[in-house]
Amino acid sequence: MLRIRDASVTFPASDGQDVHALDHVSLDIAPDSIVVAVGASGCGKSTLLNAIAGFLPLTEGTITLDGKEIVAPGGDRGVVFQKDTLLPWANVLDNVALGLKYRGVRRSERRERSRRLLELVGLADFAEKPPYELSGGMRQRVGIARALATDPKILLMDEPFGALDSLTRETMQQLLASVLAMTGKQILFITHSIEEALTLGTTIVVMSPRPGRIVARFDADFVRDFAESGDIGPIQSHPRFIELRQEIRSLIHQPEAARTGTLQ
Amino acid sequence: MTLAANSPTSFQPSTTQRRPSAQPRRSASTSTLGISLVTLASLIALWFLATRFGWASPLFLPSPAEVLTQFSAVAADGYANGTLLDHTLASLGRIAAALGVGIFLGIPLGLLMGLNRWVKGIFSVPIDLYWGLPPLAYLPLLIIWLGIGETSKIVLLSLSTFAPICFAAQAGVRSVPIERINAALSLGASRLQLFTSIILPSALPEIMTGLKIAIGAGLSTLVAAELIAAQSGLGYMIMSAANFLATDVVFVGLIVIAVLAFAFTSGMRWLEHRLIPWKGKL
Repeated sequence: MLRIRDASVTFPASDGQDVHALDHVSLDIAPDSIVVAVGASGCGKSTLLNAIAGFLPLTEGTITLDGKEIVAPGGDRGVVFQKDTLLPWANVLDNVALGLKYRGVRRSERRERSRRLLELVGLADFAEKPPYELSGGMRQRVGIARALATDPKILLMDEPFGALDSLTRETMQQLLASVLAMTGKQILFITHSIEEALTLGTTIVVMSPRPGRIVARFDADFVRDFAESGDIGPIQSHPRFIELRQEIRSLIHQPEAARTGTLQ
Repeated sequence: MTLAANSPTSFQPSTTQRRPSAQPRRSASTSTLGISLVTLASLIALWFLATRFGWASPLFLPSPAEVLTQFSAVAADGYANGTLLDHTLASLGRIAAALGVGIFLGIPLGLLMGLNRWVKGIFSVPIDLYWGLPPLAYLPLLIIWLGIGETSKIVLLSLSTFAPICFAAQAGVRSVPIERINAALSLGASRLQLFTSIILPSALPEIMTGLKIAIGAGLSTLVAAELIAAQSGLGYMIMSAANFLATDVVFVGLIVIAVLAFAFTSGMRWLEHRLIPWKGKL
């Protein structure tokens, strides 16, 4: 269980006007849940993820994972980045096995486990290839396999499909939904696509910028259907989906003054 | 394409994610090799014609045939206290020693400077200061301090190879993408693992570039050093020959140096290809 309590992150700005990237955010991520944070650029969703990952210190508040406070990056939180961070000098299999290597897992065992994960993401045939011979979507799948390899308690995904074309993106969403259904991990997923948030999340939190805070949360379970059917069409035309999409869209596009309740 | 949740192994790359085939084979070296060879042949032909028709006095420009004869003479009987091989080996030995010093001191210090603010603060000023000086300007000082023997020459050369290698290692550490470091940390890397598995290989392309610059700097400093104070080496041989207006021997020396430089460059290119085939790929 990941607990975020009153988390704030403030960056000093050159004009003396501090930037409140994250303003007293509280959120729980329970095991078996997929929390998707959605919002416009600058709403603090990536800041939130970076703070959980331990890349960024909190100015105020606490984040605990199973009761242990987070102060630095660690192997109990797997991260999938938007930009691919595979090592170009290692082949695909060794990239997936990297975390296991850090943990001192025997070579034969880590290769065996990594091979199984590559099968899970459909890249078993590419194990010996260098990452730069793979397409962007494939590299992102290797990134997911690498984050899953060490069996982290929580998976943090920072707009992992943001750089992919829309067709590849859809395929990746299908893959992720089925993988998530199988592994049953707690997940925080960051996106700026409302459709993606609704398709993949069991909980959707809507964030707004200046200061970055959570303005609404919704429960959804389209991801279960999606994992079973693998067909995005009927899900996205479901009346409830369309209703929620409209609601979230209006929340995101609402003028700042109306949202914060102060009229200029 | 549909995907059944209970058999994710059936997931195959879709047609939208084109599998990139091998890079089309059209490397620059094969496509320009012929042109370069023709240029080289033309230059030699021009040289031949210039001496054949007496466009320049043989004292200034010896004919290819003379240079060739002199080449075998210097190789067999020697010139200025040694055969061509002796001089070449003397020069190569100095350059190898200087590169060794540059690598074994420059790489670790450069890496430390990239990692630690204090190390960088302490060492960057003296290195910046001496690196700006022309080596020949402080050579007299080195001779006064260390004598006219090998030590002063190797120290001079080491100073010229050390700085570019050290700077390159430092730049290599600083060029590691922060996302790559964060990824390794969130995979549970320790500080030592972070260094050996991420920072060192990430810095390797920069270090190789520094090595290439160091070889160039070393070669030019080498000949200059041997012109001034030496009893052996290619620079010394050229200087001795010039004193007796033996232009053909000067040519022999120049050709050997050119071949050495070319061999170094090709060797480095080969090494880069072997060690960092991924350079610039990701």
